[in-house]
Amino acid sequence: MLVVDSKACTGCKLCEKNCPFSAMIVVEGTAKALENCTLCGACMNVCSEHAIQIERAQASPEELARYSGVFIWAECEEHGDRLVPKKVVLELLHEGRRLAEQLGEQVKVLVLTDGRPVDLDPLFAHGADGVIRYENKLLDRYSTDAYTTVVSGIIAAKKPSVFLLGATPDGRDLAPRVAARLKLGLTADCTMLEINEDRQLVQTRPAFGGNIMASILTPFSRPQMATVRPNVFQVGDAAPGRTGEVEDFEVTLNKGAVRTRLLEVEAVVEEAVESIENARVIVAAGQGCQALENLSLIRELAEELGGSMAGSRPIVEAGWIPHTIQVGQSGTTVSPDLYIAVGISGAVQHVVGMSGSRTIVAINNDPEAPIFKVADIGIVGDAMEILPVLIREIREAKAAA
Amino acid sequence: MNNTNSQHEIRAETVPEIAFDTVRRIDGLEEIAANYAPYLADESRLPHQGADYLFFPNDEAELAAVMREMSRQGKPVTISGARTGLVGGAVPAGGAIVSMDRFDKVVDIRYDEGSKEWRLSVESAVSLRDLGDWINKKSFPGLLGRASPETEKQFGLFKEDPRSYFYPPDPTEMSASLGGTVATNASGAASFRYGATREWIRGLRVMLASGEVLDVPRGKYFVTGDRKFTVVNGAGERTPLTLPSYRMPETKKNTAGFFSAPGMDLIDLFIGSEGLFGIITRVEIALEVWHSSISVVQFLPSDEAALDFVIGLREEKDIRPEFVEFYDDGALALLRDRQRENPKFIDMPPIPEDAGAAVFYDIEFDGNAAAPDFSRLEEVTRRCGASLAQTWAGYERRDLARFRHFRHALPETVNSIIGERKKAHPGLHKLGTDLAVPDACLREIWQFYKERLAAAGLEWVVFGHIGDNHLHVNILPKDMDELARGLDIYRDFARKAVDLHGTVSAEHGIGKMKKKFLAVMFTPDELEEMAALKLALDPQAMMNPGDILDIQGAVQ
Amino acid sequence: MRVLVCAKQVPEVTDVQVDPETGTLNRDGVASILNPFCEYAMDLALDLKKGMDDVEIVVLSMGPPQARAALMRCLEMGADRAILVTDRRFAGADTWATALTISKIVEKLDKVDLILVGKHAIDGDTAQVGPELAECLNIPQVTYAVGLELDEKRRRVRVRRETDRGHQVVQMRLPGLVSVSKGAALRRVCSFQDILEARRKELITMTADDLGVDESELGLKGSLTQVVKIFPPVEREAGRVVDGTNPPLAARQVVEFLKDKHFV
Repeated sequence: MLVVDSKACTGCKLCEKNCPFSAMIVVEGTAKALENCTLCGACMNVCSEHAIQIERAQASPEELARYSGVFIWAECEEHGDRLVPKKVVLELLHEGRRLAEQLGEQVKVLVLTDGRPVDLDPLFAHGADGVIRYENKLLDRYSTDAYTTVVSGIIAAKKPSVFLLGATPDGRDLAPRVAARLKLGLTADCTMLEINEDRQLVQTRPAFGGNIMASILTPFSRPQMATVRPNVFQVGDAAPGRTGEVEDFEVTLNKGAVRTRLLEVEAVVEEAVESIENARVIVAAGQGCQALENLSLIRELAEELGGSMAGSRPIVEAGWIPHTIQVGQSGTTVSPDLYIAVGISGAVQHVVGMSGSRTIVAINNDPEAPIFKVADIGIVGDAMEILPVLIREIREAKAAA
Repeated sequence: MNNTNSQHEIRAETVPEIAFDTVRRIDGLEEIAANYAPYLADESRLPHQGADYLFFPNDEAELAAVMREMSRQGKPVTISGARTGLVGGAVPAGGAIVSMDRFDKVVDIRYDEGSKEWRLSVESAVSLRDLGDWINKKSFPGLLGRASPETEKQFGLFKEDPRSYFYPPDPTEMSASLGGTVATNASGAASFRYGATREWIRGLRVMLASGEVLDVPRGKYFVTGDRKFTVVNGAGERTPLTLPSYRMPETKKNTAGFFSAPGMDLIDLFIGSEGLFGIITRVEIALEVWHSSISVVQFLPSDEAALDFVIGLREEKDIRPEFVEFYDDGALALLRDRQRENPKFIDMPPIPEDAGAAVFYDIEFDGNAAAPDFSRLEEVTRRCGASLAQTWAGYERRDLARFRHFRHALPETVNSIIGERKKAHPGLHKLGTDLAVPDACLREIWQFYKERLAAAGLEWVVFGHIGDNHLHVNILPKDMDELARGLDIYRDFARKAVDLHGTVSAEHGIGKMKKKFLAVMFTPDELEEMAALKLALDPQAMMNPGDILDIQGAVQ
Repeated sequence: MRVLVCAKQVPEVTDVQVDPETGTLNRDGVASILNPFCEYAMDLALDLKKGMDDVEIVVLSMGPPQARAALMRCLEMGADRAILVTDRRFAGADTWATALTISKIVEKLDKVDLILVGKHAIDGDTAQVGPELAECLNIPQVTYAVGLELDEKRRRVRVRRETDRGHQVVQMRLPGLVSVSKGAALRRVCSFQDILEARRKELITMTADDLGVDESELGLKGSLTQVVKIFPPVEREAGRVVDGTNPPLAARQVVEFLKDKHFV
């Protein structure tokens, strides 16, 4: 229930202007909610007098059961003048489809755009039953305030049972904001999702730097919200030609509600980033590589195997490589077919970011290095002595073939 | 026999005879080199001179069988602990290698009412790391399965004691075996507050070359005022011993030569004797109550200010640092250079540009205490032209790890520089001194070092245990000519240290590599006395051939 | 100007294991530290304060009484005063209940212009409390900051933000919240003097009674999520290890391995 403190309310109409659903009006100097109020919380967030409160009573099981649908936020990236869903969205669709089928519910994707065309075909091809689209030129770049308002509005109105977002920087910026606005439970960075016998979403995630796994339920609120770590779930096979309905959603979004402004973007060479998230082969360097010059050997080996270079935290901190190609807990999670760790000791924070790799090769001079515990084959020795020989041997093997 | 006599005489225990063939043994150099190569070397990297056997005895009975058989075959025995020594003590010189690896058990724990301390008996191959870990966790693997009811009771009391304990000697290399550290009277930074290993040894069991065992608790057997003592063997034969007549260096740390003083405790003869008299099979140590501390790196304007600071710290009896380490101007310059280029130094804070020297100390500190008072320390610091603001300090484990990195960075850097130069001059090696002098001579020896080094025009850095006046002067020669000049200077330094009643080997020991310095410290007559004592206890000169003394024994 | 830094005490994670028998968390002998990202938040707060006498840094931590040590660390680094929010009734709080509790404390403080938090805590690694706190307080946020600058009028900050594509510079109106992912390039080190002075600074304790919130909103009762199970991760099986002292021999073995797997 929405409660307005009439003493605190100044009748400034900020809430009226910012209500996504035109459900607030100011009558005789005091704000008032109309019938179509969804309790999305946008008014509460813009009220500078803290005059609006939303009391969210604990819902009964019957009420919770009325929520239906697995919703996914389609975070997009620019490709020329089009917007393309990120790879993690396709991973979420594959997983979301599986959950939805268990629940007997539908999969819907939230697409936000400033008007640029969005590739919807892959969304349907990968399992979406429908798309809920919202267009506003204020959405040309991600901003916490605008996206929170729109996404909260859609979720409050559509009442899905599950809402999933990619645990990308923007996904992890947006999800807790939406959760707090709607007073929803939220589980971060999940690596496993299941439906239990009570139709609840069991959200499993690593904690303590990957040393333990925890399974979490959201018993009292719907939707059950989770962010999901990229590159953990598979992108399923596409079903070309599969389609679904597109619903254009209407909400009000006011410029004044956006309190941040993006001034500059400095992109690190796009290909570099693309290549580690999607690479089949990754050769990663650690502080055992000793000197910046030695990274040329890493690059050479990567090229020889048709892969790309990455690195661990210490060499990012040393400024040898950009953080965008850092593998690990504080960097990117990768799961290539082949991961070669050169001079990386394999601290658990690194291992959680690469242990999904199909095959792991490690070179390190410390026989006790934990990386050997996850490697399929390891060499104990000086990486800088071994790499040149290894590159030569690979070349010879290729020439012979 | 009256009481006075029994103090100057010890009776050896005989060990039950078992068949020599039951002892696990590796035959022949070829097999040893192929599968047990680590037993042929230690941290000195000194080349070995071959070995015919490698033994792994399980207990004293098996060890005795080995000793008797080797005596019969006329083969010398080299004792092999964890092989972390720096002077080649465990590198075999023919004959047999006896690995103590299987002497790895905790035997007893008890509270000594007289000294109000906990004492722990362990076999000699237990590593300092395991020992520290077990004491810290108050958990001794396997003890309860083999302990007597009395030991079990004492162990229970130990666990109930709310205080934490530790074993203070810390020679840095924690993989060292306890027996090895007793045989070399190992010391390290913490010896500043706690003394060398000797201070913490309450009892030893030593197997002689004959296969008999001496059980030597501290406080039971003493040499006479004229340094005489008698060993009685199992057959009742009496062997009179006379200890060397020299005066011991007046330093807290010393590993050069056998310990000898009028009326001294017999146990001290075996501590630091580098295994020349027998094999240590069991050690009783004393434990100390643990306290939390803070690590401080104090930067000072100059080397001389750092010396003043150290002397000031020693004069203040209320300030009791755990250790006091020194880094001279050159050492800081070297680290600054490294820091610019090597990512390994990423977690090390930048060394202040204006610092001319550093002193690293640990001091008791409780992070939860409301308002600790360090005003005396502040006063000493101020007198030396510095302040507590010019420090790095920390007490959390991760801080300590960063500072440990700082401590280890310098020796590593020196080694890597020499490693580079070795590529052009294969015979090159670093020259690191291990000299110590008495407290009163610190300024004098420092002046001497500095003048000689400056005059020689060589590259050098100094760091080390300044609290015990035990500085490691590291000379970094660029070619073979500089190496030769460096060696001359080293010899001069050794002579000067001895003149000041210091020692030529404060902590590394003599082994096979530092025998030449022993001749600087002792006269030929004194070396003869040492040899005579050795041969009285080990007539065939079987034990650790080639270590400390060049003796042609009866063994072939 | 007042800057509030929210700090969390965490275990040094690498040592925490699940007991495979009992399925409970084994924290024996694990040291507690200030979450590194909270330490980075302190770095940025201290940079901001540099050369400005009228900037006050207040540091707040919600946790057990031992969390005092994490606050002490912040005081040693240069925070001006500290608030420990501790009460058994807060136990078991999820990110929502934590954010709500902290927001009630912030509302009690005199005007806070900027809130700095770590991007996440290394134990829970949720990165949720910061944004949820900002939402509870109705203030804007910028996450994953690696640097920030105040404008002259102190009405806005410019935040350099790390993304998976590079960096952004985002301007934000104050009051606002910034979550920090990187601090000073070279880790700060305290002096003995800093450590002694920290122990003379103000450190107060607040409890549930100071909040004016119904107990049902706090701790486990006020939480929207429930941990139902913890278990150790499935470990990969270790493969074989090759001695690298002979590089050509070792390299050949790896190439053979790669050939078998069709990578070469």
